[in-house]
Amino acid sequence: MKRKKIIRYVLLSLLVIAGAVGFYIYKEYNRAHKDTAKLKPDYTVTATDLLKEFENNEQASNKKYWDKVLSVEGMVKEIAKDDRGFYAVILGDTASMSSVRCSIDSAHSNEALTVSRGVTVTVKGICSGYNADEMLGSDIILVRSVIDKKK
Amino acid sequence: MNMKNSFFLIAALLFLTTTGFAQKFYTKSGKIDFDATTASSPEKIEGVNRTATCVVDTKTGAMQFAVLMKGFAFERALMEEHFNENYVESHKFPKAEFKGTITNNETVNYSKDGTYSVTVKGKLTMHGETKDVETQGKLVVQGGKVNANASFNVLLSDFKISIPGLVADKVSKTAKIIVSCSLEPLKS
Repeated sequence: MKRKKIIRYVLLSLLVIAGAVGFYIYKEYNRAHKDTAKLKPDYTVTATDLLKEFENNEQASNKKYWDKVLSVEGMVKEIAKDDRGFYAVILGDTASMSSVRCSIDSAHSNEALTVSRGVTVTVKGICSGYNADEMLGSDIILVRSVIDKKK
Repeated sequence: MNMKNSFFLIAALLFLTTTGFAQKFYTKSGKIDFDATTASSPEKIEGVNRTATCVVDTKTGAMQFAVLMKGFAFERALMEEHFNENYVESHKFPKAEFKGTITNNETVNYSKDGTYSVTVKGKLTMHGETKDVETQGKLVVQGGKVNANASFNVLLSDFKISIPGLVADKVSKTAKIIVSCSLEPLKS
């Protein structure tokens, strides 16, 4: 009688554990990307300073900023829209070829329409790295970006 | 030559140089798809990168691509993390690059609208490994712009990208890379 009870408890707890694990796997598997708008920036910088930092020491800057949430303030050089309707807001000094290119999260596409050339904005995005190019100008790329605020 | 004529000559020359034929075409928002779906995959294993840099030199046929691995967006957050952390190790190797040439560049007339089939040959560096790659592609010249499209397969093991045994049959051993770039003339 007692043994049966123990077995029943063990089976029941195993079932609960299996259920919890299953639920966790299911949740983890279906986990959506975090909305950048809700993330706290790891660093707050200006586009010019950030570009200077990467220019001076690409390796150290990559180590510091890569995969981090950056809040970058800069002047809008260009708003680019590709043929599939994805926007990129390009920040930087118009006198320089280099810029911070922020590809806008598709869920926040409409925000790209609220900014215009020559305006200073703050964009929050995840730093995916640096593309050094002497001919085309070097770029820091932010992905899943959102417009944080306008000035 | 009188004043009026020389003025027109200068104006014509200026016009020619500004609208003249660009030697290089480029983009910074090229699209590259990475697809490692197999028949036994339970769902699409596909990432898209829209921030690829590409430059084509029309004179020499030289072609270059650079892409940041972290910029590949996967629908599932978990898949994207696995791609970055376990497969391509983008914290160690943040960039993939291709340097090559269009081997039949002389058959492409960049100043005439049309679709040109090209063969591109070069070296692809990814995950710290460099391998020779050759592929067929299409260049579509239209209204002063060039669309470059190509797709090719890479064997992941060539780039020392290993797939854990647990999911080995769910992830393709070769990845299909689909390139589509809309290139604009580089004003220099």
